[in-house]
Amino acid sequence: MAGTVKRVLEAVIAARGHNNPTFMETTRAKLILKGLNPAKFTESTPDDPAQVAKARQVAAEFGVDVP
Amino acid sequence: MNSIQIAQTKDPVAVAAAAELAKRLAPVSPRLVLYFATAAQDPAGLAAAMEKAFAPATVMGCTSAGEIVSGSMLQGAVVAMALGPGVVREVAVEVLTGLRDGPNPVPAAFERFGARLGVPMRKLDATKHVGLVLVDGLSGAEERLMDSIGSGTDVLFVGGAAGDDLAFQKTHVFAGGRALTDAAVLAVLRVDQGFSILKTQSFATTGKRLVATRVDEGQRLVLEFDGQPAAKAYAASLGVPPEALPALFAAHPLGLMAGDEPFVRSPQQLLGQGVKFYCAIAEGAELEILRSTDIVEETRLALERKRRMLGSISGIINFNCILRTLELRKNGQEKAYGKLFADVPTVGFSTYGEEYLGHINQTATMLVLR
Repeated sequence: MAGTVKRVLEAVIAARGHNNPTFMETTRAKLILKGLNPAKFTESTPDDPAQVAKARQVAAEFGVDVP
Repeated sequence: MNSIQIAQTKDPVAVAAAAELAKRLAPVSPRLVLYFATAAQDPAGLAAAMEKAFAPATVMGCTSAGEIVSGSMLQGAVVAMALGPGVVREVAVEVLTGLRDGPNPVPAAFERFGARLGVPMRKLDATKHVGLVLVDGLSGAEERLMDSIGSGTDVLFVGGAAGDDLAFQKTHVFAGGRALTDAAVLAVLRVDQGFSILKTQSFATTGKRLVATRVDEGQRLVLEFDGQPAAKAYAASLGVPPEALPALFAAHPLGLMAGDEPFVRSPQQLLGQGVKFYCAIAEGAELEILRSTDIVEETRLALERKRRMLGSISGIINFNCILRTLELRKNGQEKAYGKLFADVPTVGFSTYGEEYLGHINQTATMLVLR
């Protein structure tokens, strides 16, 4: 599997960004401050179980349901 | 009244200081009074006197390491801003205690905010509401606090960590007539006429990067960069021996980059072969080595951009890092910095850390009101 972290982080940005460029940007910054830089992950980034777990944990903290 | 007023005093007696501020702010019937006070004031006495002097307004503040008021940077003063109901339509305040060792107090505080405001914090309209955060600057808990705030709401919180005139003994936050340590005061303001948050740091990137490969996050300590002892790797990237590094700390902090925007992490001291910072760095974080630029000029430009964006500015609350203040003082630029705010009602203070999305250093975070 690959790209799970990317998809989780994009789901967080979409949910918390409300299609507002300011809030999408601040959500990205919050993720970076939590140690997950969305720019560092792509659809082809191999899934690292620890990173996937961290991304899911962060999504839960933001109150975002991810598949 | 749709108004913002500011005042300052150097009266050392708490009751007299509060009375003087109340007299000077009398043109406004405030909904909210913010104040920042020298640690030389009796904190409990001042908190009680300010609460009484401005009742029934909501009153909050903290101790400082230098104060800012329109046109001037001060020491040994109390500065205050009164915000009328035309500016702040609604305000709710929560006090969070036990930051160091207690359970995370943010979720419970957010529940109370939601009950008070009638909307859960996660659903509150972040274009109409803004948060203020004042936190004990010696709690060491600012990162956890800001992380939890940022996860729990889209409302943007801006603020600073209380100071104590560089004594580094005890800092206080003020709310409800009390002076508290190991605590934070959060406020949610409904501001209908518009606002923006200004974050400015006077640094350029150098293109040199370090990755924190071993850290003690709780101690704000980086043990290794790029798999090498942290001090050695940091110094090598600046072309100096490790023992020369502390002299370069202020001019070359590290930036956690969000696009082109650095979130500054300032080194404090060498600890063995490690480097202790004024805020935590996560393991695996990639950081840019920064190079200092002119604080006055960069701030002037940032204010100009914000003024163009908002059209006009009716008030500014400025949380300015004490390290910036010390650099301004060293360079004889305090007056020039103060003058940047001469034509706008402004209060602020020199902080032990700035708060915006996270806990940051060597930055000014400001709430700019239209």
